[in-house]
Amino acid sequence: MGKVKPKRKSTLIDMTAMSDVTVLLLTFFMLTSTFLAKEPVTVITPSSVQEKKVPMANVATILVGTTEGTDGKEKAHIFMSIAGDADEENAASWGTKAVKRNALQAAAAEYEKYTGKSTGITSSDLDKFAELNSVGVPLAQMHEFLQLKVEKQDEFQDPTKNPNIGIPMEEIVYTNADGLKEITNEFRIWMRAINNSGNPNLSDAIKGGEGIAVKADKDTKYETMHQILNDLQTIKMNRFSVMTALKTEND
Amino acid sequence: MAQIEQSDKGKKKKGAQKKMSIHVDFTPMVDMNMLLITFFMLCTTMIKSQTLNIALPSNEKVEQAEMNKAKDSEAVTLILDAERSANGEVKPGAGTVVYYYEGKPILQDGVDVNKVNDAQGVQSNLAATQFLGNENKVPQGIRKILHDKNVKVLERIEEQKAKWRNKEITEDEYQKIAREIRNDSTLTRPVVIIKATPDASWESVITALDEMQINQISRYQIDQMNHLDSMMIFGYRTSQGLANIKK
Repeated sequence: MGKVKPKRKSTLIDMTAMSDVTVLLLTFFMLTSTFLAKEPVTVITPSSVQEKKVPMANVATILVGTTEGTDGKEKAHIFMSIAGDADEENAASWGTKAVKRNALQAAAAEYEKYTGKSTGITSSDLDKFAELNSVGVPLAQMHEFLQLKVEKQDEFQDPTKNPNIGIPMEEIVYTNADGLKEITNEFRIWMRAINNSGNPNLSDAIKGGEGIAVKADKDTKYETMHQILNDLQTIKMNRFSVMTALKTEND
Repeated sequence: MAQIEQSDKGKKKKGAQKKMSIHVDFTPMVDMNMLLITFFMLCTTMIKSQTLNIALPSNEKVEQAEMNKAKDSEAVTLILDAERSANGEVKPGAGTVVYYYEGKPILQDGVDVNKVNDAQGVQSNLAATQFLGNENKVPQGIRKILHDKNVKVLERIEEQKAKWRNKEITEDEYQKIAREIRNDSTLTRPVVIIKATPDASWESVITALDEMQINQISRYQIDQMNHLDSMMIFGYRTSQGLANIKK
């Protein structure tokens, strides 16, 4: 007499299908997410109740980092990053890389015109520049900077290691053909070059105020920011946006 | 984790190859994937920062006449400064002091603006407060002052907001009505002029702009400090028995 054996049921659930789904989702998120671009300085933006999002395309970001200068005052280090149109179709002429290339070319030409000094920027420099994100190198050193290896570039742009990094705001006085004096600086040259970089959508955005985003640390002194705001006013870019983090009304 | 099972139950003939079925337990893999997905989902949404739009007046000198048009009863001037200790130094990790005056600066009787003692400053209608936000939903500090100045607009907007919350009107309609109320010239609305000392933090400027948003003030502008403003702050500090700001 054999005992009646209860049929042993396996409790294993086939997880293969589940795994497939999760891997698919994972791939999707990994591919669609854009990584935070590397920035030479880390800033904590001030918080605000504004809920408007930063545009992803057609925006020039002015990143302001600060260090303590030799005179005990705060020294600003300005870095720029440019984003062109995100659309595939006109990437060749309006895309980020094309816009960056044009902007550097225009800025170098302006700089040479105002200072009479050559920047030595070559066509291969323009291509290298188009690959970079935030750059705040004086135009006179741009060629030297672009020839460096990536790790060296990071070091070059680190304000703690290179206290003179950042787009200079020192005045450049230029006497034009009529003998009239014009005052400009590299920051203004850059802003104008970005505006005229051949992407009408970017120019429109700059005009409307969404095209310029100022990103500065919350503890930056107003004194420092005032110089930048004043310069933007001078070149008639009165409308711009400020990057903030979200907070609620009751905070 | 992975098991190899023999599928036969002992009925196989001798010599026949044993059939093996392989089960791999995917549960830990799924767990890990889910974790990664959660990570990516959270990271991609959290980091996006917000923007605040600013329109500065143009640098051309036409503004001055325009500015004086603001009725004195409507104007409020805010001067932001970093918190200072009694000897005038900026405190480390300082908060913000908001100096403000309503209307025109009113100086102590008989003081000539041009002959003010630089060290002492001048007594005026300048007062000081702070950004205090809300306490139990009641505005405090500078928010209360701005709130009281713009109370008519705020009341009206609050009515519309209630309607929107009860789904009587859509959000777009509400935004449109709110904009009209903010710009309604028949209501008494303040004109706020925001100034900041060189030591004020960038955050304080943004907070001041935020207060405009919170209090539904449509007319405000960022302006530069002038000599009189500094003298008034000096005077305020002197009257409080505090040493003055070193330049």
